[in-house]
Amino acid sequence: MTTSRRSFMKMVLAGTALGQGLNLTLTKNLFAKTTGEPIIIGHQCDLTGGISSWGYWHDKAAKAAVDYLNDNNGIAGRPVKYVVEDTETNAPTGARKFRSLVQRSKADFVIGSVHSGINLATVPIAKELKTIYIPQGMAAVMTGAKGNRYVFRVNSDTYSQAAAGAAWAMNNLGKNWGFIFADYGWGWSHFNEHKAVLDKLGASVGKPIAVPLDAKDFLPYLTKVAKGTDELYSIFFGSQSVAYYTQSKSLGLDKRMKRYSVICTHEAISPKDMGGASEGIYMLEYHPRMLKYKDTPHNRKVRDLMRVDPVDGKEDGSKKIIAGSHYWAVWEGIFFIQKAIEKSGWKSKKDTPDFIQALEGLAVKESFEHPQGDKVMRAKDHKAVINFYMSKVQNGEIHVQHNIPAADVESRFPPRYDFTKESF
Amino acid sequence: MKTLQNLEPLQILGLIGALFFLTAPITIPLVANDFWVSIVAEIMIWGLFAASANLLFGYTGLLSFGQAVYFGMGAYGVALSIDIFGFSFWPAVLVGIAVATVTAFITGIFAARLTWHYFAIITVVFSLIFFFITVGWYDVTGGDDGLPFTLPPVFKAGGFEVSLLDLTFQYYFILAVVAGCFALMHMLLKSPLGFAFIAVRENASRAGLVGYNPYMIRLVSFVFAGFFAGVSGVLFALFSRSASAHFLFWTVSGEGVVWMIVGGAGTLFGPVLGAAFLIIVREELSLYWEHYLLVVGVIVILFVTYAPQGIMGLLKSALDRIFKREREAANSVPTVGEAVAKEGPES
Repeated sequence: MTTSRRSFMKMVLAGTALGQGLNLTLTKNLFAKTTGEPIIIGHQCDLTGGISSWGYWHDKAAKAAVDYLNDNNGIAGRPVKYVVEDTETNAPTGARKFRSLVQRSKADFVIGSVHSGINLATVPIAKELKTIYIPQGMAAVMTGAKGNRYVFRVNSDTYSQAAAGAAWAMNNLGKNWGFIFADYGWGWSHFNEHKAVLDKLGASVGKPIAVPLDAKDFLPYLTKVAKGTDELYSIFFGSQSVAYYTQSKSLGLDKRMKRYSVICTHEAISPKDMGGASEGIYMLEYHPRMLKYKDTPHNRKVRDLMRVDPVDGKEDGSKKIIAGSHYWAVWEGIFFIQKAIEKSGWKSKKDTPDFIQALEGLAVKESFEHPQGDKVMRAKDHKAVINFYMSKVQNGEIHVQHNIPAADVESRFPPRYDFTKESF
Repeated sequence: MKTLQNLEPLQILGLIGALFFLTAPITIPLVANDFWVSIVAEIMIWGLFAASANLLFGYTGLLSFGQAVYFGMGAYGVALSIDIFGFSFWPAVLVGIAVATVTAFITGIFAARLTWHYFAIITVVFSLIFFFITVGWYDVTGGDDGLPFTLPPVFKAGGFEVSLLDLTFQYYFILAVVAGCFALMHMLLKSPLGFAFIAVRENASRAGLVGYNPYMIRLVSFVFAGFFAGVSGVLFALFSRSASAHFLFWTVSGEGVVWMIVGGAGTLFGPVLGAAFLIIVREELSLYWEHYLLVVGVIVILFVTYAPQGIMGLLKSALDRIFKREREAANSVPTVGEAVAKEGPES
């Protein structure tokens, strides 16, 4: 076989390309190599029980974030180990699992459950065991009256949700508000936070209708809704949420007034599976379920890792619908940990006070690590100030109607506590 | 005074158990993770709770699914006293126990009139009523969110302070209270009142004919059981630094019943063994499989079907068999033929 000048050049080019490819791969692997003791991130996750449809996504997001870190030099060159324990969506079990993560698995940082009761049972233990805790629940008090310096919040709470949605809803849906909700902490917390904002804005708030937790027939409660109500704010979870949407529509309330809620009442559920019962409802989202309303390269990439379709957020190969307004906070929580470790030079748990000071006031830019948007972890009350979206269920899809930027929310959402004065 | 040699096998086992509980904070970290010290503390609390269900079922013949009410009342009594009223440690503890005991007395007035499935049903109903009140009364109880609180010191004098934040002190505090409760329960069961409980359990009509008032006996047993459940609730609230509406749900009572049955109903320490066994199974299995309760269910079915006397019954029969064989061997006089075969013929 003879080698012509042309074929020789081809071989040289191919060889160079192959060499470069190998070189890049080797270099990447060289830098990806992590050394030293692993940094352990625990996850107190609701894998079974009432909120397990969200817990699935939280676990998936946390695993994906840790895998990404380990493929990219870990945290400060150290590998990251992920340990998950199931809370059974139960407060005493959840608190015990936190102890197990910290004392048995030696977790350095813990991402928390989405159940407020579990979070509140865990918050004092986090301080005792001097471990950073990033809960996912929505009760305002855990980064307020019941909080402490070891607790940080990446997602929203009932306080910021009222601050974000009430003003727009009052101006666009009407001034006469009615409230119907499940008779427990979450429902009352929404009512109290909204009433405080609405009273200031000059809206009229009707007598709240608290529905017992075991109620299946909503007729006796729906008939109490006042006639002149412009918008009916509802807070229910799981089967009660489906029952409320179905029965309020069949009574024709959707024709007489606007129905408004937060996405939590529709999270991990497709409107298409509700048979049109939630059609027309306005919802406050904390991150749009539909990709087209946040179609950035970063958000697209993270959703690809979650393997969900761009419209319904349905998982490839299963019937699961993404908990789109919540999973991102677990993802971002892990990168907040990374940034605060690298900023503070944290080496072990004795350096946790430095970590806390680094995280207090930490600002992050929208990126692959923070796809939800720019945000600041407020130093005083340890809450991230985030963007919100006012959306509406139309044709079985959740369409964004209005963007509510973090800067607008912050003006109505001043810190109520200052944890920076608390000793470690 | 009995010497060690004169002790029954179960008493020796009890001594070993007591030695384990007394030295756990020192010995456990030598062989396992110190997380297990807090699990042993939890086992003691839940063991006392299961023993309260046992006092009713094992000794008085009343199957209660309502012990969670008094557990929750004890927990909320101490949590509200500290968080809302600003009480110090000991007054808060006393309030918790008092609230649970008074609640047991009031509900017992109605429940003690009933027996068998009617009694079981009314205790479930009480549990549901108190649970829904607690969940709905958000402003006071924190509802589903619960009521976390900051622990006040147990003792403070000048600069010296002892608090349950010191985990070794916390362990011994729980041990002392639980041991005190079991001593009280032992005295109660060995008293004429304790025998009256058993008389009512065995045959209430006959007990009535010999002069006992079965209703009053059941009521007293119910109040004592509420007291012990209340103490365990107080301890658990202090241990977990919070109270929650979940504490009052009937499934918590159900767990107590399961621990009692698996451990051995009608025995003083059986419920502690049941709680210990199932809590350790839970802690180990739940790490690897979130549906571990299926295994727990199978264990319960096997015990109820094949070992209704529970772990205590299994232990007792096993020890009896071993020691009986040894005793028989020691006491048996060899026959002439055996002696000859062993020693050889006299020369």
